[in-house]
Amino acid sequence: MAAKKLRRAKLPQELCERLSRYQITTCQDFLCLSLLELMKVTGQSYRNVQKLLCQVSLACAPKMQTAYEMKVRRSVNPSSAFLSTTLHSLDEVLHGGVPCGSLTEITSPPGCGKTQFCILMSVLATLPVSMGGLDGAVVYIDTESAFSAERLVEIAGNRFPAYFDSDEKLFCMTRSIHLYRELTCDSVLKRIKSLEEEIISKKVKLIIIDSVASVVRKEFDTQLQGNLAERSNFLARGASLLKYLAEEFSIPATIPLLLPLEQLSCGRSELIWKFESEVLSEALGFTVEVIKERNCTPCPL
Amino acid sequence: MQRAVGSLPLGPALRARLAAAGFQTAQELLDTGPCGLSREIGISKEEALEALQVVRQECSGDAAKTAGGAGTTRKCTALELLEEEQAQGFIITFCSALDNILGGGVQLTKITEVCGAPGVGKTQLCMQLAVDVQIPECFGGVCGEAVFIDTEGSFMVDRAADIAAACVQHCRLIAEAHQEEDHQKALETFSLESILSHIYYFRCRDYIELLAQVYLLPDFLSEHSKVRLVVIDGIAFPFRHDFEDLSLRTRLLNGLAQQLIIIANDHKSAVVLTNQMTTRIGQSQSTLVPALGESWGHAATVRLIFHWDKSQRLATLYKSPSQKESTIPYTITPHGFRDVQPPAVTQNTESTEMNPRKRPRREEEK
Repeated sequence: MAAKKLRRAKLPQELCERLSRYQITTCQDFLCLSLLELMKVTGQSYRNVQKLLCQVSLACAPKMQTAYEMKVRRSVNPSSAFLSTTLHSLDEVLHGGVPCGSLTEITSPPGCGKTQFCILMSVLATLPVSMGGLDGAVVYIDTESAFSAERLVEIAGNRFPAYFDSDEKLFCMTRSIHLYRELTCDSVLKRIKSLEEEIISKKVKLIIIDSVASVVRKEFDTQLQGNLAERSNFLARGASLLKYLAEEFSIPATIPLLLPLEQLSCGRSELIWKFESEVLSEALGFTVEVIKERNCTPCPL
Repeated sequence: MQRAVGSLPLGPALRARLAAAGFQTAQELLDTGPCGLSREIGISKEEALEALQVVRQECSGDAAKTAGGAGTTRKCTALELLEEEQAQGFIITFCSALDNILGGGVQLTKITEVCGAPGVGKTQLCMQLAVDVQIPECFGGVCGEAVFIDTEGSFMVDRAADIAAACVQHCRLIAEAHQEEDHQKALETFSLESILSHIYYFRCRDYIELLAQVYLLPDFLSEHSKVRLVVIDGIAFPFRHDFEDLSLRTRLLNGLAQQLIIIANDHKSAVVLTNQMTTRIGQSQSTLVPALGESWGHAATVRLIFHWDKSQRLATLYKSPSQKESTIPYTITPHGFRDVQPPAVTQNTESTEMNPRKRPRREEEK
């Protein structure tokens, strides 16, 4: 939206040419200037500049919808609102399951079962709608190389023995889970940016990123100055991209965050954990926290 | 009429030509007429006419100001302001402790900012206010509509529907208890569908869409004149990342604040913003402060900070021109934003721990 060229905002041709001489070609450049600067570059009077501002704003502004229209749209298609996790108590607390169209974060100390949960969710997403699934493909971005295909088949076979009775069905399921191994922050961000086309072409219905914290911890040593800002920048950009994808295609996105309890005792690291979590948490709809005692305790935000 | 030509809102090229031709006051321009002007300066007759129309409009506005006329001028006595303020309604929050410390509720024509850590209840309060602004006047509300500008995507329609249903139920109970006719009539139009259809929702994905929407807001509010509340949920989110040029960010935020103040005053509506918290790392410790920097702190008239105290949610009135700083507990129930039941003893905590830079208020001896 911001990168929309002024030509497409229906401004007159000579005006666009004049503005391009000042390097103002997109709506973003136009709207970031103050009124006086706009008067200078367009050479128009105050009233006209205000009219131009309204015109460009109309080209960029979002569409209005009333809350009632949103509700009607949701109620028309109720099954697509949640992806049930098949764990009844968890589904109850989450009011249906992992919500479609927003980000869900899963945090826990290591060894509690985040990756297992993600593998289960991938299986569920490929199931047909009649069985509570989303009947679609899954994009699994793995940063720790923890995904095991054998475990996937084992879970599918033991959990739904009636459905996965033939090899054919298992192959079909595994074919629709697209695994990407990304080991650096840059490549994770690039991968997320490229997801838009993949989602449409492969009919993806679930995005899993396992896990965000490990790449960030590897690359950004927070003892060094300036790294905190860069790190939060990366996290915020990734989060807003994922949110856009989740909302646009109405699919759930889950990101397990690794939270090493040992590090929390040290004063400085505690601060860092809070900082990182707070940038991401702003982007999230739900956080599920798994506690070390191997009890699953969801805390929806 | 003696206004200098350089101060008129004409295009800069035109002003330069007028100065070069020797025009000094607006009266000289009006006396010359469009044909004379176009000949002297070398512009077309249409442009000259347009320029003269602008000049005429500006000068008539000036004359009205010097004669002490009403309308565009905002001149009035403090007594008139007092009467206006007393007649004005508040938007209640359904949490009586919070309404008390705010002096009745969220005030119209003022900007209220709500800051807090993630998950503490800012969006819940915004949704509650978007429903409460629509309460009919006979039940103590302002009977208005709401604009909800969402930058984080945290508005959940089902939750808003729950809150609206609880509010309708509450009003129905009041109507049954009082059995008055206008209550019954108001209840007919106050239903779940009508509440949801009067919440106008805009989803802004980045700061350009937010800026564009705020530029268009005055026109929207003129069309929908019943709007009494504008909520921007997440003013910080689009401005916190992807901004290399911090001075541009400050300028855009200040411009935004100015426009919101104008909107709040012209359309007599309340503006509610939610802000995030950021960690300020000091020498030995870190504190949570509202995001977007010091200069943004001046934008809002009233500032509320929501925070946790172990497992109790607390709201602190951090900045207000008319009310004392205090902290109250609140809770989020399936029905929305409510008081803590049973009501806990409200603590007037020392404000030093929340804001170490403010001088602590000492209780005056009576």
